[in-house]
Amino acid sequence: MTEATTSPNASAGKKAPTPRPWQIGRYALLIALAAVVVVTAIGNPRFLSTNNLLNILFQISTLGVVAAGQTMLLVSGGLDLSVGANLSVAGLAAALTILATGSTSLGVLAGLVAGTLIGCANGLLVASNRANPFIITLGTMTFLQGVAVVISGGSPVNGAGALFDLFGLGSTFGIPNPAYVFAAALAATWFVLSRVMLGRYAYAIGGNEEATRLSGVPVARVKVGLYALNGLIVGIAAVLLTGILDSALPNMGIGYELRAIAAVVIGGTPLSGGRGSVLGTLGGVLLLGLVSNSMNLLGVGANYQSAVLGLIITAAVLLQKRT
Amino acid sequence: MATGLPETVPAAAIEARAISKAYEGTLALDVVDFSVAAGEVHGLVGKNGAGKSTLLRILAGAARPDSGEIRIGDVRAVALNPITAQRAGVAVVYQNAELHLNLSVAANIFLGSELRTRLRLVDNAAIEREASALLARLGLTLPVAATLGDLDIAHRQQVAIAKAVRANARVLLLDEPTAALNKSQTDFLFRLIRSLAADGIAVVYISHHLDEVLAIADRITVLRNGRRVGVVTAGSVSKADLVEMIAGHGVSEVSERRRRSGKREPMLSLRSVSLPGYLDDVSLDVAAGEIVGLTGLTGAGARTLASVAAGVTAAQGAITLGGAPFAPRSVHEAIARGVSFVAEDMRQRGLVMAMSAAANMTLARLGAVARRGVINLGRERAEAVRLGHFLDLTPRDPSRAAMTLSGGNQRKVLIGRAVFADARVLVLEEPTQGVDIEARRQIHDRLRQLADRGAAIIFVSTDLEELIELADRIVILDEGRVEREFDPEGLAPEVLLAAIQAGGPDERRRD
Repeated sequence: MTEATTSPNASAGKKAPTPRPWQIGRYALLIALAAVVVVTAIGNPRFLSTNNLLNILFQISTLGVVAAGQTMLLVSGGLDLSVGANLSVAGLAAALTILATGSTSLGVLAGLVAGTLIGCANGLLVASNRANPFIITLGTMTFLQGVAVVISGGSPVNGAGALFDLFGLGSTFGIPNPAYVFAAALAATWFVLSRVMLGRYAYAIGGNEEATRLSGVPVARVKVGLYALNGLIVGIAAVLLTGILDSALPNMGIGYELRAIAAVVIGGTPLSGGRGSVLGTLGGVLLLGLVSNSMNLLGVGANYQSAVLGLIITAAVLLQKRT
Repeated sequence: MATGLPETVPAAAIEARAISKAYEGTLALDVVDFSVAAGEVHGLVGKNGAGKSTLLRILAGAARPDSGEIRIGDVRAVALNPITAQRAGVAVVYQNAELHLNLSVAANIFLGSELRTRLRLVDNAAIEREASALLARLGLTLPVAATLGDLDIAHRQQVAIAKAVRANARVLLLDEPTAALNKSQTDFLFRLIRSLAADGIAVVYISHHLDEVLAIADRITVLRNGRRVGVVTAGSVSKADLVEMIAGHGVSEVSERRRRSGKREPMLSLRSVSLPGYLDDVSLDVAAGEIVGLTGLTGAGARTLASVAAGVTAAQGAITLGGAPFAPRSVHEAIARGVSFVAEDMRQRGLVMAMSAAANMTLARLGAVARRGVINLGRERAEAVRLGHFLDLTPRDPSRAAMTLSGGNQRKVLIGRAVFADARVLVLEEPTQGVDIEARRQIHDRLRQLADRGAAIIFVSTDLEELIELADRIVILDEGRVEREFDPEGLAPEVLLAAIQAGGPDERRRD
């Protein structure tokens, strides 16, 4: 059951000999995914068409990249609410750089650097242990939203045509390019969490920060590293989104932070940290994407969609396995 | 000292019949009968994993037996839940009593059943009045309005007991109640238990301290491997008898101790170390291969001294490690220099419970099984298996989460972490607290082995036998100063106890 020594999440809750009601939570996500697929497929045959499935993949990619990064933070007991605003700022940094220099590579670099620096700043603030990451990143989120409006003058920044060709229109082997970025982000964060010292330390800090500190783990450095790495991932998502939208918008990231956190938590990583996996996050992102798509195909009015999504998030969290 | 049972055998206040409970196919309890009469103090003893905690949890309604029957007074049930157990009159005080340190004593006692005014508001005055009355009835003098966090551990426990018996408890379950208490606090607790029993409450007393169980209990139930091996009257058995029943065989005497004579270069040397309010001009040398035991009353400074020696707490004065100045700015630096600390409080300060035993053991020197930041899982597992073998870890499988291990094995994992970190100086708090006899012997043997390989070991303990068995030198602290040193060779526990107690009035300062 737990052949890998690095999967603390797998060994929890295996003690009970008989299934208890809450253990449904272990399979709730798979059941929900299956239910959405079956119901939608019956309601609208177009759902299972290749085109539609590829469309879903295209649509969830940006969220998926952001959620992959957020998973590492939640595992470590951290949280970054500013990823949405960071998405806007880093995307604008990329687009503005392209506009100024005409070089797409420089633009991409600027987006990644901006995202990483913002993540690093968040990490330094969080590692100071002066306040809860929720409050700290709520502050940086608000600040960055302001920055986004200021540097863009409040209007979209166009000119990222090469990125649009790559991510907005481009596909490889019939699969839209953003899906590859999503897959790469998942693979990278999976590797970090399961094989890299930084990831192991994330589990340790999320599980018991004081014990981890007393084990000689440089907790502050690890936190800065995790937030910076998350910032880099957000930078990647920003470049992706800028390409998809063919421009950078000062408000394009708003809401991503909460959807990303929702996807991670639906995927079984608790806000309290210490356990969780990127695989679960993939499930969470898929569920959010499938439900949105399904509601469109089934003709659920736009007014109801948010309410339904909210119910699903709440139900998923309530069904989750308690420790 | 057993008081004996009343002449007429009264109906059992609580009775469990043919209780069985399996976890993952392993029988934790195998058709166990258990019965306690009203007014009786009943000891429940056994090694870790013998089934004590499982039985306790079943009686408290926190676990569901697979089969059997429970009777409390005239309530009969196949299984209880915490609420039905409480209604039937069962009260529990767990080892880590769940109290709210930021609330007052009175608020803690009435938490969940607050008294209300006519406007349905919380009636604090009535709560404090009732709490005072309850405490007075129990013979306790505690300030009801004080914040619980300001009281010491013994007083907090008294609050937990008062809270437990408030709602007319007929059965009181106590899990290792003296784990954190010193001698006089224990004596006080025993008087409290006797007076509760005299009021007709059936008290179940779970402990590893057989002397205490023999002193307080009327009868004792011994569990071994999930089976009841006997129920004995406390007055009719000796400690050796109990040990044999618990272990299933006579336990071999203390492992052989090798003590080298002659002066050796100190590995760790503390000179005039002070920490206002805690330590006052303390000097201590520990040589490679030496095991030094620190002890004293609560607040005497033994724990603080250990924490300073480990580099966990900073203090004034000079410390040298292997001749070089040692003033680490972080635990990270201390461990890198070969000084490891094993805290008593495993849950809060020791283990990452959700992680595997292997991951816990490699945590302090993860780089040793990694290359350029990437962990080699195969190598980590091999190292963990090797450590598990060295420490007699059971189960051997190091991929089990730390939370699934017994207390003794959790402590072995923590020691394993220090071993893996290549500690030249190992500082431990209460190394065998809450650990069964066999695990205790294993831990002592391993620590001796580590010392023989050249480690300097410092441990803090309030366990007299442990100090005498394990230490090469016992240092008694009092009021932040080194009071006396003892050679444990041939030292009688009573002499050591007298020396610890002699230090002065039992003034309590919080560590």
